[in-house]
Amino acid sequence: MIGRIVEIADDKRHLFLHRGFMVVQASDGERKELGQVPIDDIAAVIANAHGISYTNSLLVALAERGTPFVMCGANHNAAGMLITVDGNYNQAKRFDAQIAATKPTHKRLWAEIVKSKLQQQAAVLEAVGQNATPLNALAQKVKSGDPDNLEAQGARKYWTMLFGNDFRRDQNSGDMNALLNYGYTVVRACTARAVIAAGLHPTISLFHSNANNAMRLVDDLMEPFRPMIDLKVWQLVQHGETDVTPSSKRALVHVLYDDMQTNVGATPVMACIQKLATSLAQVYLGERDKLDLPLQGLPLDLASSFLDE
Amino acid sequence: MWLVVMFDLPVIERAERKAATAFRNDLLDMGFEMSQFSVYVRFCSGPAQVENYCNRIEKFLPEGGKVSILQFTDKQYERIISYKGAAKQAAQKPPDQYDLF
Repeated sequence: MIGRIVEIADDKRHLFLHRGFMVVQASDGERKELGQVPIDDIAAVIANAHGISYTNSLLVALAERGTPFVMCGANHNAAGMLITVDGNYNQAKRFDAQIAATKPTHKRLWAEIVKSKLQQQAAVLEAVGQNATPLNALAQKVKSGDPDNLEAQGARKYWTMLFGNDFRRDQNSGDMNALLNYGYTVVRACTARAVIAAGLHPTISLFHSNANNAMRLVDDLMEPFRPMIDLKVWQLVQHGETDVTPSSKRALVHVLYDDMQTNVGATPVMACIQKLATSLAQVYLGERDKLDLPLQGLPLDLASSFLDE
Repeated sequence: MWLVVMFDLPVIERAERKAATAFRNDLLDMGFEMSQFSVYVRFCSGPAQVENYCNRIEKFLPEGGKVSILQFTDKQYERIISYKGAAKQAAQKPPDQYDLF
């Protein structure tokens, strides 16, 4: 099922569990109830403010369902994430298979991901009227393990073509970067949930190797979906929305529900992420050869929103 | 899709009241919200989820009493006309997939 994203963006909030619901109260004054969400329907809770309080039983209930609880810093980046230690009934077997996977397998899978990312970036450039040929050409050339680092070469071309020569991707600056941070945080939370639910360990990566990063596999698998956020940010900026506001956040979260093209037809981005994580577990277990990646092209709603303009 | 669960349960004996409360709590645990006494509603995203909840409710059914599960499409649910006192209430929309508090 495709769940709901719940964001807590105000400082004065208290969250607790009541039966099957996460209840949100105002924590100043008379503790008015602001709303409740069935806990089984939540895909991720994003805590994006400072003075929030929550009960332990709520966090336990979220963890039991494999729902990540994401804590954001001032730059809207995920600073931490609370996830379950017990995500899948045969998790131990899958961890073993994951650890036993050979280096060539990891390199081959990473090449598939880089290729997919470059293809999606090319689709984004095409959508904004730029020349997509260079990135499509790079996508054709990706070799096992991406030894020529085409991912970085692609990124250099891509960012300047998408956001202009002055743009620098910087996690700590404001404007577009803050919007990108926020969008990636939401995608990252969904990917983390998918990885855990597939019975995979989030730290054992294909490519990312930063020793301080506990979510390396999550960062690997979310790569092909980043361009969807990039395109939405581009659109928001075209419409003069350069700040992280409730409406721009809503627009970014909604990217997860847009349909991408896959072998079995239109599938929401959130479900594509889940399919990718599940297929990786199946590759490790020897049940299939290739990752289940979306086809090249934009989510239908994202693409059609350009027709209106 | 919306599921509406309506029930009439016997509450004469102490054990019956206990069973009725347990059933009510089971519905709340599954994410059903009280719409009126003995009427609980829940939004479902598709037929698979509807079937799942119907099966789960079947497992929790108390002895005696009558329980009905009604299904509504979003459009039908929106067309429900409700009053509170003499005041007409706004139509209910399906929940948004992004909640901001």
